[in-house]
Amino acid sequence: MTRTSDDPRLDLLQGTLDMLILRTLRWGPQHGHGIGQAIRRQSEELLKVETGSLYPALHRLVKRGWLKSEWGVSESNQRAKFYRLTPSGRAQLIREQDRWSQLVRAIGQIMNPTPAAKE
Amino acid sequence: MRPDDRELEDEIRSHLELSIRERIERGEDPRSARQAALEEFGSIAAARDSMHRVWYSRWLDATLLLFQEIRIGLRSLLRTRGLAITVIVTLALGIGANAAIFSVVRSVLLRPLVNRDADRLLYIRQTAPGIGTEDLTFSMPEIGDLESRVKSISAFGDFSTVDFTLVGFGGEPRVVTAGVVNGSFFDVMGLRPVLGRLINSSDDGPNAAPVAVLTHRFWTTVLHSDPAVVGKVIRLGPGNATVIGVLEPSVPYPAETQIIANVVTSPHHLGATMQKERWHRMTELFGRLAPGATLEGARAELKAVHASMVHAHPESYSAQARIGIEVKTLRDQIASPARTILLLLLAAAAIVFVIACSNVANLILGRSVRRESELAVRAALGASRGALRRTLLAESLVLCVAGAALGLLLARPLVAVAARYAARFSVRALEARVDGSVLWLGAVLAVLAAVLLAYVPRLPSFDRSSALSPAAGGIRITPGTNRRLKIFAATQIACSFLLLVGAGMLVATLNAMSTANTAYDMRQVLAVDVPPPAPGAGGEATNSFFQEAMRRIGALPGVEGVASGMVVPWRDEWSSILKFQFGFEGYHPAEGEENPTCMFRPVSPRFFAVLGVPIAAGRDFTDGDRLDTEPVAIVSQSVAQRLFPKGEAVNRHLWLDSRTGLEPTPRRIVGVVADVDDENVVQVPTMTVYLPWRQFGEPSRLFVRAAADPYALVPVVTRTLHELSADQAVERPATLEDVRTQVLTPQRLNAFVFSAFGGIALLIAVVGVAGVLAFSVGARTREFGIRLAVGCEPRQLRAGVLREGTLIAATGILVGGLGGVALTWVARRLFGVAQMPGVLPIAGAAALLVAAAILASLLPAVRASRVDVIQALRSE
Repeated sequence: MTRTSDDPRLDLLQGTLDMLILRTLRWGPQHGHGIGQAIRRQSEELLKVETGSLYPALHRLVKRGWLKSEWGVSESNQRAKFYRLTPSGRAQLIREQDRWSQLVRAIGQIMNPTPAAKE
Repeated sequence: MRPDDRELEDEIRSHLELSIRERIERGEDPRSARQAALEEFGSIAAARDSMHRVWYSRWLDATLLLFQEIRIGLRSLLRTRGLAITVIVTLALGIGANAAIFSVVRSVLLRPLVNRDADRLLYIRQTAPGIGTEDLTFSMPEIGDLESRVKSISAFGDFSTVDFTLVGFGGEPRVVTAGVVNGSFFDVMGLRPVLGRLINSSDDGPNAAPVAVLTHRFWTTVLHSDPAVVGKVIRLGPGNATVIGVLEPSVPYPAETQIIANVVTSPHHLGATMQKERWHRMTELFGRLAPGATLEGARAELKAVHASMVHAHPESYSAQARIGIEVKTLRDQIASPARTILLLLLAAAAIVFVIACSNVANLILGRSVRRESELAVRAALGASRGALRRTLLAESLVLCVAGAALGLLLARPLVAVAARYAARFSVRALEARVDGSVLWLGAVLAVLAAVLLAYVPRLPSFDRSSALSPAAGGIRITPGTNRRLKIFAATQIACSFLLLVGAGMLVATLNAMSTANTAYDMRQVLAVDVPPPAPGAGGEATNSFFQEAMRRIGALPGVEGVASGMVVPWRDEWSSILKFQFGFEGYHPAEGEENPTCMFRPVSPRFFAVLGVPIAAGRDFTDGDRLDTEPVAIVSQSVAQRLFPKGEAVNRHLWLDSRTGLEPTPRRIVGVVADVDDENVVQVPTMTVYLPWRQFGEPSRLFVRAAADPYALVPVVTRTLHELSADQAVERPATLEDVRTQVLTPQRLNAFVFSAFGGIALLIAVVGVAGVLAFSVGARTREFGIRLAVGCEPRQLRAGVLREGTLIAATGILVGGLGGVALTWVARRLFGVAQMPGVLPIAGAAALLVAAAILASLLPAVRASRVDVIQALRSE
């Protein structure tokens, strides 16, 4: 998978993948492939998650107790491993979301200063 | 919990399937859908590995792998049980011996004392190199001088031993060794009581109440830790004393005592001789460094004060004796006599470990050559060098850990034996225990051995074409492997040779000592300690007691003669204090020249007859030699020859030097007797002057000459003495021969321990040589077959193998000999002295090893000559 410089897709910011996974799983369990597709779709094809980083990230989150995994059957009737948000994963999602909005505001202030920032 | 690799791959597969199906549903052609999905996914192995790494750290992986290898190793070792057991037992011996010796060394040389601030606790002594003693105690006037003038030592504690007869605590009267100490002794030593209180400054002086402190050992072993002992009144020698406390467990230094009492309990300590006489040295001195003072500072100050003291009293310090002063910490003082022997033992244990390791290395090397084909196949299939080493390491770890575990089990009883043995040199050895640090030592030795052993075998050549060929043909031994095997075998022989020579040396010394001729009649004479209640307490009463005792015992049936004296040969180590300077007729010392010194021994009439010492000239003492008759003396032949070389010694006169503080009355020599040395088991010409017991000293030892078994007389002699005085202690009856045996116990133990080490080494070495030869013969079956086929005599083959064995032994002995010379040289540089072994131990050890090597090569030799020609040739 090589990408040329005119490829419109964006690289993920460091550390945001975990948050995106948690967010994606907020509405219910999903398998790895589904999570990857969901992120791509919701970002209107701008974000592309490499499987090489998606799966280790999923396992990392399971190891930390934020996700739980179990084998199940997909809508197309195929065997797949489904990931589900745990209560502590939900709490983590809220923390990361807060942190993210603070970061966005802070960076936004610097990049597009508004009169409010001077107060 | 952790997903394994299969599950990770499952997940990847399901991802790919989902991806492919999606593409097909979008209308792609199945083939290109599959292609695209795979392409999009990237490296499957990399994805799997990065998921794997989330769950497993690199260390965990390596450990798991090693465990897996260990499981395989265990299984393959179970198949070769004999080899495994040999290796484990050999290692256990090596590790066990090291652990035991190490425990003892640690407790003697390395562990701190219980005494408070032991670093500041000093042991002080005088030395007199001029008269050949490094250990001279102090007299009270000397201690007084030091106490009043040395500032870098804040307090002095003094201690002298006295034998008291103890009555009390039930049972028969017994002789106890008591320490007599001043009030500051316990404070200086930094010891505490476990019960009651200890002696302090209020117990000093002649007017204090007599009190005694029990040592912990005495309290626990004899009194069974009786808590009600404090306050009891006991009879101690001539008077009573109150028990005021029990001392905490501590190193019994300078002497193992049962009781420690204040000065007032000992009439001798209150006497004028003790208090006033500068020559009367019987007191050990301890000190505590003043705050801020250093050992070097204290040493310098002690030396200065001592020098001015010597200068002020020239009459008491002969220039010839060169009396000086030395100080070291008590810890060093206690450890020093044991240091050499313990380091020797440690060296012996280390040598045994080296032998054990090289033997095990041989066994493992042999085994790995047998499985060279297996390793070659694994290498050909892509196993890396690291993986092969890991296999070998896993196996040797299993072996070494098992060996270490068994060795540590062995260590416990070994420590008990070694501690009892080393206690003869340093009391601290009794504290030796197997504990955590020994476990660490065992673990370290095991890992060390395992790593060494894993790197001994040669890995198969990575030139694959040649590596695979031996797989078909059984064992093939390379010259390199063979050389290594022989080097290890020779190492074992060399180490065994060193140990055997050492053991031989000790055995030879012991033998010389225990069979040395003495002028005494060794078998028929019973020596008995009959101590007066306390030194200085007896006087005329003691004399008449002995007179009557000798009369009654002499009349007993089976008694051929009875005599008394003050010294049981070899056993009474204090006898050297009966060494005085004397003058004699016709001798005028030149300016600065010293009077000669010799042993003085008060004895009763018939002493020489009873002990079997021949009288060369003149007469024996008689009952007529008393205090109110002419002072007389009998001299040994050495005295007669050295002092009166020209003429007859009999009827000449000698007298004690006035500077000794004794009466310088001229004494007429009435007889000359054969030389006997009652201080050294190996007799050296000894200048001894005998004085009649009624004119000098105080008898305390009885000698009974028996017609038959001397020990049969013990009960009746004891009864006779108790009839005379019920409270009289009667102790340690033994024939002179048994006394000598007892005195030689440390030497016997040394010889025994080193022989045991030597024996183990020899055994291991024989197994080693036999193993190497068996292996080399096994590997050359084809060669032997061809040689037999072309008409070689079986005899020649046998001789060849025997020659090989002898060559290994000879090389080992040569290397061992060179190593020994080097060791002696090192020892001489380090310790100043090193004894070269005699020819006999060297020749003996060499002969023993060559014989053992020949014996070990016999079986392989016979096998070589019986090779089945057809079978051997077919095997390729």
